[in-house]
Amino acid sequence: MISLERVNARAGSFELKDISFDVPTGAYGVVIGPAGSGKTTLLETIAGVLRPISGTIHVAGANVTYAAPEARRLGIVYQHAYLFPHLTVRENVEYGAVSKDVAADISGRFEIRELEGRSVTSLSGGERQLVAMARALSRRPAAMLFDEPFSALDPRTRNTMRRVVRAIHREWGFTALQVTHDFTEAGLLGEVAIVLDRGRVVQQGEPEAVFRKPVTPYIADFLGAENVFAGTVRSIDGESADRITGREDEFGKRAVEFTTAGLEFYAVGDISDGPAHAVIRAEEVSLSTETSVSSVKNQFRGCIIEIVPAGALTRVTVDVNQTPIVAAITSRSARDLSIAVGDSVVVAFKATAIHFC
Amino acid sequence: MRAIVTIVVAIVSSLFLLFILGPIAGLLTKGGVRGVVGLANDSELRDALILTVVTATTATILGVVGATPLAYLLARRSFRGRAVVSALMDLPLVIPHPVAGIALLLVLGRASPVGGVLYNAGMRIAGSSTGIVCAMLFVSAPLYVSAAREAFARVDARFESVARTLGDDAWRAFRRVTLPLSAKGLTAAAVVMWARAVSEFGAIVILTYNPKTASVLSYDRFTSYGLSEALPVAAVLVLFALIPLAALRALRAGEPLGR
Repeated sequence: MISLERVNARAGSFELKDISFDVPTGAYGVVIGPAGSGKTTLLETIAGVLRPISGTIHVAGANVTYAAPEARRLGIVYQHAYLFPHLTVRENVEYGAVSKDVAADISGRFEIRELEGRSVTSLSGGERQLVAMARALSRRPAAMLFDEPFSALDPRTRNTMRRVVRAIHREWGFTALQVTHDFTEAGLLGEVAIVLDRGRVVQQGEPEAVFRKPVTPYIADFLGAENVFAGTVRSIDGESADRITGREDEFGKRAVEFTTAGLEFYAVGDISDGPAHAVIRAEEVSLSTETSVSSVKNQFRGCIIEIVPAGALTRVTVDVNQTPIVAAITSRSARDLSIAVGDSVVVAFKATAIHFC
Repeated sequence: MRAIVTIVVAIVSSLFLLFILGPIAGLLTKGGVRGVVGLANDSELRDALILTVVTATTATILGVVGATPLAYLLARRSFRGRAVVSALMDLPLVIPHPVAGIALLLVLGRASPVGGVLYNAGMRIAGSSTGIVCAMLFVSAPLYVSAAREAFARVDARFESVARTLGDDAWRAFRRVTLPLSAKGLTAAAVVMWARAVSEFGAIVILTYNPKTASVLSYDRFTSYGLSEALPVAAVLVLFALIPLAALRALRAGEPLGR
């Protein structure tokens, strides 16, 4: 378990303010935030490298708020590896290892056995990161702190390493907290997501929930939500969401109209009338060539202004009354629709696809 | 225009180099051979050189042992008064060295409280090789502190942080990581201190005229016998200075230009 309660810390002129969150024992937490949001400072405070001004930090059940780093039973892997340059790869991995056997086992899992005799100064960026990972894990810590550990790896190695780290994490059951600015990575690895901005936790929860329901337009934008609209909410008299959806988790929400730049969305939300931001994930927006009669209430005809294929998905931007709406559809669907820039298409999304913040 | 600037820069640089190298070359030409031959026959010169090496080495060892923790603190820790401590450490570098000698004499001379107590305990400072060590330590240790602080600062503190999370306590992390990584810089700092100690004259001549170090001997020969007698001693001192210079070059070999 990694648990922080109202932690305040200072690194130079930067401050962490009132940080509170829990990553349960054996869980994989991710800290997401833009550059300069305090992610590394947070990890260093948990690791004991920085001393908090106030608050309490628990690691593996022990109050370690003012404990020395070596007494915290946790490991840290920095973005820049920080391998000891005067030692070989093997000496680095064995530096704090509980035993040489564990160090050898971990080296094997990270496929760095053949590098063992080499000086770390001769390694590539990716290899350095693998050695740093092996070095920290060889200590068999109760908790691991990762500061963007996969950033120096090529995409293929990155995927392999994510799998290896996840496998060791599941097998050993340590608690992990990883810093990343890549929400895809956060979604792939994390069970708990903590969004940090300017030294404060601005949202936390399951990655899926944070991704789908960001609490501010800033978070929505940072998390890559392409469709964030500023507008005005107006309730629709006599309608309530439970009648529309029948879903228990929607109970109590109201049916509303959201007006933005000449467009009117039909939506449900636990929100009062007035100014608001509507967030629609591009993956929730579909495209068709004709308007259809269906339960999907929001359908708008527009003109395609951009098509960006990206592997299995294609992002299509449609200009609807001078408001761009982005749809992420499968590349196969894009081929089947035979769409091209300038074509007229219908964008559609359900009322429940709109999240207000 | 560009060609003119290049020519002017080349002329000015050449004149400057000539200004530095000219006197040294002249000294070596006129006194070098006599100085080296004198090493075999001139026991006073030999003794002065041995005394210089021993006292400079002793001062350097004392400086390394005593000033390394201070240099580390100045590089790593942020504490109230750090700027004041740094400024105080630089003070011996900017005051005239005879003034440093007078200050030391005030504290360590027989008439002073500290010097008096030490003298009564059988430890004579002024007028002894101990006095020479004190003078050398006073004027050259600040150079070591400054260079050692730089050497520590060049080692990213996160190496220590990583070592701590790998189970090392502060001392062990220092010994296993920081010290090896800063060893080259610390050695260079010690060489600079030693070289400065060897060349010291002003503070030594006030605190201890006899026994004579090489620098005091060259002055003594100049004032007593004139330029020609001082030349061999001075030339040997210049040759002697090549030792730390070569050591520094060797330590810096492989470092990128500009560092």
